[in-house]
Formats: sequence, C-alpha cells, structure tokens
Amino acid sequence: MSARRDALRVLLRIAFRNLTASPVRTAILGAIVLVGSLIVVVGSSLLDSIDRGMRTSIQGSLGGHLQVYDARSEGTLELYGGLRGESLLEPIEDFAKVKEVLAKVPNVKQVVPMGIDQAMVAVGNAFDVALERLRDDARRLEAGEDGPELRRSYAAHQAHVRRMVQLLREEIAQARQIVDEGGREAADQKQQWEALQRAATDDFWEGFDRDRYGSLELLENRVAPLAMDNAFTFLRYVGTDVDAFFRAFPLAEVVKGERIPTGRRGVLVGKQYAEEWLKLKNARRLDQIKDARDRRGKRIAEDEELQRWVRENRAGIREILLQLNPARADALAGLLRPALGAPEGEPLEPLLVRLFATTDESFDRSYALFYDVVAPSLRLYRIDVGDTITIKAPSKSGYFSSVNVKVYGFLQFKGIERSGIAGMMSVLDIVSFRDLYGYLTAEKAAEIERLQRSIGARAVERDRAEAELFGGGGGLVGEARAAEIDEGALVRGGEEDRASAADLAARVYSQEEIERGVALNAALILDDPRQLRRTERDVRAAIRDAGLGLEVVDWQQAAGLVGQFVTLLRVVLVTAVVIFFAIALVIINNAMVLATLQRVKEIGTMRAIGTQRRFVVTMLLVEIATVGVVFGLAGAALGALVVWAIRAAGGIPAVTDLLYFVFSGPALLPRLGALSVGASLAVVLVVAILSALYPALIAMRVTPVEAMATED
Amino acid sequence: MSIVSVEHVSKDYMLGKTVVPALRDVSLSVGKGEFLSIAGPSGSGKTTLLNLIGCVDTPTVGRVIVAGQDTARLSERALTELRLRTIGFIFQSFNLVSVLTVFQNVEFPLLLQGGQTRKDRADRVLALLDAVGIAEHARHRPSELSGGQRQRVAIARALVTRPALVLADEPTANLDSETGGNIIDLMKEMNRRDGTTFIFSTHDPKVMAHASALVRIEDGRIASREDLDGAALAGGR
Repeated sequence: MSARRDALRVLLRIAFRNLTASPVRTAILGAIVLVGSLIVVVGSSLLDSIDRGMRTSIQGSLGGHLQVYDARSEGTLELYGGLRGESLLEPIEDFAKVKEVLAKVPNVKQVVPMGIDQAMVAVGNAFDVALERLRDDARRLEAGEDGPELRRSYAAHQAHVRRMVQLLREEIAQARQIVDEGGREAADQKQQWEALQRAATDDFWEGFDRDRYGSLELLENRVAPLAMDNAFTFLRYVGTDVDAFFRAFPLAEVVKGERIPTGRRGVLVGKQYAEEWLKLKNARRLDQIKDARDRRGKRIAEDEELQRWVRENRAGIREILLQLNPARADALAGLLRPALGAPEGEPLEPLLVRLFATTDESFDRSYALFYDVVAPSLRLYRIDVGDTITIKAPSKSGYFSSVNVKVYGFLQFKGIERSGIAGMMSVLDIVSFRDLYGYLTAEKAAEIERLQRSIGARAVERDRAEAELFGGGGGLVGEARAAEIDEGALVRGGEEDRASAADLAARVYSQEEIERGVALNAALILDDPRQLRRTERDVRAAIRDAGLGLEVVDWQQAAGLVGQFVTLLRVVLVTAVVIFFAIALVIINNAMVLATLQRVKEIGTMRAIGTQRRFVVTMLLVEIATVGVVFGLAGAALGALVVWAIRAAGGIPAVTDLLYFVFSGPALLPRLGALSVGASLAVVLVVAILSALYPALIAMRVTPVEAMATED
Repeated sequence: MSIVSVEHVSKDYMLGKTVVPALRDVSLSVGKGEFLSIAGPSGSGKTTLLNLIGCVDTPTVGRVIVAGQDTARLSERALTELRLRTIGFIFQSFNLVSVLTVFQNVEFPLLLQGGQTRKDRADRVLALLDAVGIAEHARHRPSELSGGQRQRVAIARALVTRPALVLADEPTANLDSETGGNIIDLMKEMNRRDGTTFIFSTHDPKVMAHASALVRIEDGRIASREDLDGAALAGGR
C-alpha cells in the first residue's frame, strides 16, 4: 500500500511540476476547460430555470399536470394552438363519466373539463353603436314615449350620427380621388356614395323625424358599411367549468370586473387579447410607446417603430372623433386647450393632433393627458366588461352557431400576463361552448323543433335531398309571396329574442348540467406533481379498465409547440456544448500530444530506470485531470458567480411576449443547481481524459531505447 | 560468477527494407565487481550491446542473461522490474527529469520501488549526494547545474537502489576531458566502495585507461578483450 502511495505522490508531483513548468500551455488548456465548465454551469442553470418557468406557465395556465382527450382524435392536443390552427379532437361525449373514473385514481386532485376553440365575435363599429343608440331613442318616441330627457338624448344622438356622416364624407371624398371607379363593385360604391351625400344634407336631417325608420334604414344599410371598421374579431377561448378552472389554475385571475358567477353563462376576455385587438388603436399605440420607452429604453427620436406609432396616432384621430357627439367634443376641446397651450377656439381635431404628435420630452405629459382627460369620454375597448357579445362559430354540424354571453371581466394569468401565448385566451362557460360546438342540449333540441314547426320545414334525408329540391317528389314547391315588412312586428320580434336571451343569461346551470356533456379534453391536477409518471400510468390503467378510450399526455406534450421550446433550447445548448467540447478535445489533444512528444526522452529515461507503462499513462492522465479539476472548479465557481450576478442585476428581462411565457414572468432569475455544477465537472473531466487518451497511447509506446538517443 | 552473460547474440535493425546488422555473434561474460569498458568507433555496436545488457532491447538471435535471468523469457513488465531492481543507468546526456529537483531525481527510483519510509529514503539520497559531492545542490533543478554536476546526480540516481549492475553509455561524451576524468574517477570509486559492477562504453582512450577490463568492438564483433589493471576487485570471466 505504501508503495502505491509513494508512487502516487511522485506521480502527482511530476504532473503538477509539468503543469507549472509550461505555464502558457497550462493557461491555454485551463482557459478552455474553464470556459467549457462555465458554459455548462450557466447554460444548464438557465435551462433549468426556463424549464421551471415553462412548468409554472403551462401548469398554472391551461395545462395542469396531465391532459386526456379522445384517443380517436385525428390531431394531438395543442393547448396553445399549433401551426395549423386548433387541434382536431374528437369530443369526449360525456365528461361526467370521465370525471367519475379519473377522480378516483390516487393522487388525482381535480379533473377540469375543457374545450378550446376559436370563434368570431361581432364587435360592430362606432357607427353601429351610435346608430343603435339613435334607433333606441327613435323606437321609444315611435312607441309614444316622450319627455325632455328623451328629447335631449335623441337630439344628442342625432347630432353624433350627423357628425359621423360628415367625417365619413370628408374622408371618402379624399379616397374617391384615388380609387378607380371602373371596377366591378363601382355600381355599389356609387350607390353608397350617393346615399352618403344625401345623409350629409340638411334636408335629410330636417326630414328625419318624418320617417325615422326609413332614415335609419338608409344610414344603417347604405352608409354604415362605408365606415369599414373591423366588424369581426376572432376570439380564442377555453370552454370550461369556470369554478373548477379557477381552483385548478392558480395563475388565473380576473383583473377587471368579476368572475362568471357559479353556473351562469358568461365570458372572461383575455386581458392581453383585449389590449391587442379590442383596445382603441390610439390608446394601444400610446401604451406600446410607453412600454418601449420604459421597459426597453427606446426613444422616439431614435427608433423608427416608435416614430411610426406616433405618425399613426396622428392619422388615427378619426376613430376618437367618431366616438364623440358634438357637445362632448366641445367639452373635451375646452379641457385640452389650456393643457396644451392652444389658442382660444381651436377645435378638437387639431388639439388631438397636438396631443398625439409627441416627442420624447412631451410623451409622459401627453400620455397622462390622454388617460386623464380624453379617455374618460371614450369607449377604450370595443368589447368591455358588462357588454353582452355575440360569439359565432361553425358548429360540428356545419351550420354557424352563435351564443350571446355577458362579458363578466378581463382575465389574465399572473406572471405571464404580457404573454401572447396564454394572455390571448378567454374563458367561456362550458354550456355556451357546447352550444357553439354544436352539441345539442335538450333545450336547444326543443328550440330547433319549435323553429322547424313554425317555418314548416321538414327533415330531408340527405340522399333524397336532390330529388326533393329539384322536383320529382313535388313536395317542396316554392310559392312566391310579396314581401311585406312590418316594422312593428320586427321590433316586437327583436324584443322577444332579447327576452329569451335574457332568460339564458339569467339561468343558473347546476353542477350536473355543467359536467354532463361534451368536452374536448380534460386537465388533471395532481396532489403531488412529483408522482406525475406513476399517476400517468395509473390514469392509463383506469382508462383502459373503464374502456373510456382516452389518450393521456403530460403537460409538456399537451402544450404542443410551446412545450417543445425547452426541448429545443436543450438541443441547442447540448449542440453548442458538444461542438465546444469537440473543439476543446482536439485542442487539448494536440497540446498534450505535443507535450508528450517533447517529453519522449524523459519518458524513455523513466521507462529505462524502471517505470512501468501504466505509471507513465497514469502520470499523463493525472496531469490532464488536474487541469480538468482545478480549472473545471474555477469555471463552475465563475459560472456560479455569473448566475448570481444575473440574479443580482434583476435577471434576464423578457423582451418578447414568448419569453414572458417561457420565463413565467418579466425576468428570468436563474438558480444554480448542484446538478449543473456536478454535470459541468463530470463533462469537463471526461473530455479532458478523453483528449489525453491518444497522447497517453503515444507515451505508452515510448521505449526505454529512446532515452539513449543522443540528440538533446 | 558472472552477472551478465551474452551468448552468441546477433542484433539486426531494419533500415527501410535493408537489414542492418548491428551485432554479429557476440559472446561476452561480465563478472561481479568488474569495471568494464566497451570501446569502439561510433556505429560499431557499443550502444546496441549496452541496450541488450540493460534489458531495454532484445536480441535477434542468442541469449542475454542478466543476474541469472534470461531476458528473452521475461515479460515487458518483468523486464521493467528487473531494470528497476537490478540495473542502474547513466546516460550520455544525463537524462534527469527536468521538473524535479536534484533530490527528487535521485529519490525517484526509490519511490518506484516503494516500501521504504520517507526518512530511510532521505538518508539514502543525502548520503549518495554527499558521496558524489553534490549535497549542497539538493534543492536545485537540473537546469541550474553544470554538465559535470548533472552527471554526478545521474550517478547518484543510478546507485540509489544499490543495483548489482550499472550501465553507462558514453558517460563522458558530453563533458570536457577534465570533468570526464572526474566522473570516471567517481564511478570507479563507487565500484570500489560497494563492489557494484560497472559497464560503460566510450571511444575516448583516456577514459578506457581507467577500466579494469576493456572490450573492443569493431563492426558488430568483439575484436578483443583485455584486463588492464588489478585495481578492480575481481576480474576474469
């Protein structure tokens, strides 16, 4: 034993002396090892932290721990949407049955039904809103109501619409000078233009009261389409048991308004979605400029994008003007003039131009002025809390279904509120989801039957449809009747609709109604997430035993493309590390080969005086391993320092929406893992020893005869 | 009794495709305590013969028996062990381990052998350094020493394990003649003191003169063997 120890001692001594004897070589090899170890420590710490961030984001927003969906589905579940839109899932016919089975699996805390889809939402335009208000007043007057308050409101709404017509006429007059009038739609456009011209005349407004509905008709059908605001927007939503959803996903919170009351129909609109798609463009652009300045240190003077936003804001004033009736506009101008130092009597439009033409110096003041003075008179979001909106989607049967739901609030996911990935998501009650999806509830079936009876339609079998429609059977012969529009009946009909919609909105669905029925997938929340794999197996077994025919995926798979982000990063890091160490291997190998060749005589001498081969090989390996350990540790320590410094500096800021989601917050705070330090040392050592193997082989082949060589 | 016995040994080297015979049918016996010089012009086969005796090379034909062991029958590892325990080497260009101090260089074979206490080793090393007259340089690196001093260190290293046989290939070739003479004197002193057998090669007539026996080699053959003086403890075959 002592002989071994003695040998080892001399081995270490020679190895160490060799290192100090050629400091340049040692420094170069050391630097390579150090950088390698640094990369591994910092890289894997960042990756682990990103992994944790993703876990928090996915598990806390939609993913839960496990997801189940029908195994016959064509597509796979992609909670955050895939490249080709929503995943094609076969419905789970009865969620209650699934819940009953899966809730009994050990470690499963909660089973939440879900159905993710996209739908169209009619948002109308400012013109429609103004016209609807006017129509309301007109209807009341026609019904015989009267009074100073109604008259005042009627006049104000009339003035608003009239102003809008004027604004629209000015804008379109400019556009018409550019547009080619020979096109296919020229006739239509010409008609609309003539209608607009007429609506802008004094005659039209003086005669308005003589034919209120007729005048409104002209405005609604001929003039309003010219305004061409986005009439629809797309909403991505998850239909779910809302109470269960909030219990399952701790990151979900309502930021404006309130939760959908238990059992009610309703929608919570994604806050980020509202900001991006529903907010008044000018306000949105001000927010973006502020964000770019505050968070990214951009300046209007230097940044082209910010300059563009300022330009667009100046050009986008019409949207604001359209929202204001003349009285409001005057009041607002009165407030803005002193604040902007404008001359007496300057109207609102140039005032707003002044307001939005901001520079870096005036931006904060303009921003405050907009939100404090202008915004209170405006409708900032095209869909806002308290509105009832119509959501439309093509149902499974191929028809468009639509539901009216109340917007109870805006929804966000804590920490990842700015992320477009989770922040675009709205939450819809599952009953409405089923209506949209085309699942027939009992009441829906009854309604359809009533409708069919009232219009005398009868079911036509598909394979006989042609014959039925184009003769032969002769059952469906059309009968032309003169159309006779009864305004009163229409109004009454509208009110009936409204009444039944109100019924639906007020109805409280029982938990059983919520759970009995279609869902597309279900999230499982576990008591102990660390047991995920075992529970996944148990869930599979339970599904098999109960014959439910469901596919089980973990949260990462369920997240689809987003979930693969970490895998992608890991691949990138591993590739970078592999390339780095491949190069390191070659360099270290070369250096060691050179060093070995320089020492051939010395090694030969040692061999001659009785040093065994293995001793020589060990000596070389000890030498390189010493470099590996010393500089590897130094690199790991430096890596720890870097990680600490990143934390101390507030982390790596999430500059894009995706990063917000990935980091699960505004910044990535990396945490040093014992595992990454261990891994870096192991990798460095393995690479160092691998790179010394060839030189060691050379050293082993040195014969004692080489010691006798006379050249020095 | 002889410590080295070379029996009908031939050694060929391949130089490309040509066979270069370095030794042809050489037989030689060296007795214990001899101070034998192998002399001959360069290329005559001196070094080859020393390499064969030193167990760092093996013969093409014939047997080399060192300390009673037929080197052809020994494994690489056993040969190494034999070199470590039985033979000391002194090289023409000293061949010290440059990164070790004088003391550590001399201690090195003892560490390879193992089995001694640190103090025993230190005593032995210091005694030898003293004997070769270089004790005050124990902590120096070889690069800080002159050629003669380095060769003294090499002699100490060769003797530290008390080997039965010390081989020296042209030990004075890289030294001036005065220093070379001193080195040979030192080797001879060691030969006398401990009875260690020395075999050294040289082509310097002045150095040959110190030997107790002289073997002349020409063209790979032993041309002559002569006993020179009775100063050696024992002579003859």
